[in-house]
Amino acid sequence: MTKAHILKAALLGAVLALSGCAVNETATVTTNSAGEQSGVIVSNSGFLSANLRIADTKTGKAGDLMRVQATIENKSRNDASFQYKFKWLDKDGFEVSVGGRPWQPLTITAYESKAVQAVAPNASATTFQVLVQD
Amino acid sequence: MNKLKLLAVLCLSVLVSACAGNKVSYGDATAVETTTTGFGSTDLQSIAAKMVDDVLAFPPIVQMTAQRRPVVFVDRIKNKTTEHIDTESITDSIQTKLLQSGKFRFVDMTAVKQIQEQLNFQSDSGLVDPSKAVAFGKQTGAEFMLYGNMSSIVKRNSDTKDVYYKFTMKMVNLETGIMEWAGEKEIRKTGSKSFLAL
Repeated sequence: MTKAHILKAALLGAVLALSGCAVNETATVTTNSAGEQSGVIVSNSGFLSANLRIADTKTGKAGDLMRVQATIENKSRNDASFQYKFKWLDKDGFEVSVGGRPWQPLTITAYESKAVQAVAPNASATTFQVLVQD
Repeated sequence: MNKLKLLAVLCLSVLVSACAGNKVSYGDATAVETTTTGFGSTDLQSIAAKMVDDVLAFPPIVQMTAQRRPVVFVDRIKNKTTEHIDTESITDSIQTKLLQSGKFRFVDMTAVKQIQEQLNFQSDSGLVDPSKAVAFGKQTGAEFMLYGNMSSIVKRNSDTKDVYYKFTMKMVNLETGIMEWAGEKEIRKTGSKSFLAL
């Protein structure tokens, strides 16, 4: 085994160890139609909960459909790449159109905020959640 | 000694073959998929979500759909990219979401032939009670048409490939020819060879 081989193996090991560390975290913000934020659940310590913040949520109406915006802020000095998803609940807490919204990739540069928007799938949705995962 | 060697080889091969079995697992259909830079499920889903959000939040459409559910027909999306993309699958997703929003109704042009056959059967076969047969000439005409384009720009050098997709969708009033709404979704994907080139 040459020195180059050892180096390559060591690098591979390091890469594997790093990728093995990537944890899936989900942060959830629940806001009802009155605009009351009913709870922010941020998972245990990690990249997302340490560096991302749901700075603001807004709800409005497009006809009788709920229209929402969540502002996500990157508090770190590095770019943050993650995925987000909206979830909709009706007044009784049932999820509206289960699996209807995809996870969407998003990158926010250092100290920047970005707004993500969505319109409810139908008029029965009264509460929304923003889920964030890395 | 030879027997021992043979046994060792046998044991090893059994071990290896046991490890190399096929593994099938179910994944999240809405998860972000980054297998290649080609058009994928995440692109399809984000296009559909963006178009539907855009239509439903556009103020003139909000006003128009407040009291009634306009009838729409979906024409095809022209695929002007270099890839084979099933654009009907994109329009199907958009149509389903719009229908489920309760704001629009659709006429399905892909089922015209089957509908006609069924109507012919009801009126001509002699098997259907004429008082219960569906009458001809009562179908509703579509008021709006949804159509669009999909194009891409692909650039590459020795180790990076950049793909840019642009999806445009338009809604035209069939009577007046006025375009009532247009929406656009851009997607950029970059693929690069990994550092170790494994």
